[in-house]
Amino acid sequence: MKPSAKPYMNPYAAGVCLGLVLLVSFMVLGAGLGASGGIARISAAIESFFLPQHTWNSPYFGAWGKQPLNYYLVYMLAGTVIGGLASSVLSGRFTFQLEKGRQCPSWKRIVLAFSGGLLVGYASRMAQGCTSGQALTGGALLLTGSFVFLICLFASGYAAAFLVRSQWYD
Amino acid sequence: MIDTFFSTGQLGGTRALFMAAVIGILFGWVLEQAGFGSSRRLSGVFYFRDMAVIKVMATAMVTAALGMTALVASGIISLDAVFLNPTLYRAQIIGGLIFGVGFVMGGWCPGTASVGAASGKWDAGVFLAGTVCGSILFNETFGLVAGLYSSEPPTISFVHDILRVPRNWFVLALTICGILVFWLVEWIEKQTVQADRFSGLRFLKQFSFILLVVGCGVFLIPEKAVTPEPELPVAPAVVNGGEKALLADIEEALDHMEPEELARRLTAGQTGILLVDIRSKKEFHTFHIRTARHVPLTDLTTVLLPHKNKGLIILYSNGMTHPVQARDALYRMGYRNVYILTDGLAGFVQRCLKPVSLRSEPVPVAAAAEINQWRVFFLSPPAGDAPPSPKMPAISYWRGY
Repeated sequence: MKPSAKPYMNPYAAGVCLGLVLLVSFMVLGAGLGASGGIARISAAIESFFLPQHTWNSPYFGAWGKQPLNYYLVYMLAGTVIGGLASSVLSGRFTFQLEKGRQCPSWKRIVLAFSGGLLVGYASRMAQGCTSGQALTGGALLLTGSFVFLICLFASGYAAAFLVRSQWYD
Repeated sequence: MIDTFFSTGQLGGTRALFMAAVIGILFGWVLEQAGFGSSRRLSGVFYFRDMAVIKVMATAMVTAALGMTALVASGIISLDAVFLNPTLYRAQIIGGLIFGVGFVMGGWCPGTASVGAASGKWDAGVFLAGTVCGSILFNETFGLVAGLYSSEPPTISFVHDILRVPRNWFVLALTICGILVFWLVEWIEKQTVQADRFSGLRFLKQFSFILLVVGCGVFLIPEKAVTPEPELPVAPAVVNGGEKALLADIEEALDHMEPEELARRLTAGQTGILLVDIRSKKEFHTFHIRTARHVPLTDLTTVLLPHKNKGLIILYSNGMTHPVQARDALYRMGYRNVYILTDGLAGFVQRCLKPVSLRSEPVPVAAAAEINQWRVFFLSPPAGDAPPSPKMPAISYWRGY
């Protein structure tokens, strides 16, 4: 973090704000927050750019039609990036960096980040949502599947944490 | 009762997309302010160094759950107007387990990685590239896991229903759990980092107290929830014939059927159309579209199975909420002949049955004749069908659902 960076918001205050944003989303859109849905739509667009016929006929992406980007979660994702950029710039936290422990070689962090992303991208589709769209949104609506997802996520996260801890060694 | 873009079926419209982007900006802003643009901070939760993830997530969940409970109980919004993620135990258990491993390896989740990438973190960009590949991998290997979705009917399931406790008691319990978790994670942070990062026993006491008061406050709102009614015995199927023409229809049509088109097909006496009303039994008996059959959501898969990919199945409710969810679920189970009635029963009444004399827009003569024909067909008591309540048509024009 830069020396000029502002401190983070009080986590409980941030949580209340996040909860209120979620409530607004429920009341206006009739749907909660989501991130992986937008990423999946972009993935479908990327795949159909290279293999149009194959993608349109594929069992999962095919159901989204020929214009997969015409979807509210894609716009929400774009908004999330804009909001994150504005906030980090205005708070003096924007820096180009590869976040890792000092003792961890860059290649190792990159491999872990990519593999983690691969698993998360796959799992979000399987569970029909990620930490935002499934755990937080569904949890706030008291949906059973979301609580099940949340519990499993933290259980396996804590179980696997030990194995990848060295990427954060300073 | 407010309408949402989802309940009116306009979530794909320009205004909804714009609002989604605005909400996304707020979402990204809050995530970044909370410090979730840093993978070091996010993964700190798994090493008991920085518990901010749990603090923010739990606070947000409790805040939104209390807010939603209050809004639903006071009749401001119906849960019908909100997309409810269906529960699929096996997919969500396995998905959750894989997700957790990916989360701790990558140090990001999709939302936070978007914010991290926007604040210049290379590892977030790499992670996002991974999620794109993971999504494509899921699409390419969908056949391997399709069984997870076809073997278990997706259901809308609430935790408080499973536990058999009233919603507001469960929300109060969730709030108390949240407060206990806050004290626990503050204690953990004190043990591991010794830092007084968050100098606030006093703040935490006040915050806990406020949450508790709000949690108890939801009891003051009189409960208006409707208990689900017992299910209606299943009527014999009416689908036969006309397959060839229908297959051509299926080829061309999208997943929606416009109310006018449905009205034309039904008045013409077309066979092979299974019109399914998925509202409550009480609402069905008050009024339903002629020839419709009442099927509770929970019975949908059993009742529709004989009609899978035979003829047309058209689902409707008051709005678009449950039919869309049901159609998506059925599509995943291999149904390719399920359509939803655009704008639901509300739209059907508004567009097909509203008398010409009450319409604000000019109606061409031919259209007016058609509307009158539909009114005769749908509003006169059909033989062998339950007579519609005489009050019904008058209410529905004005309530606007």
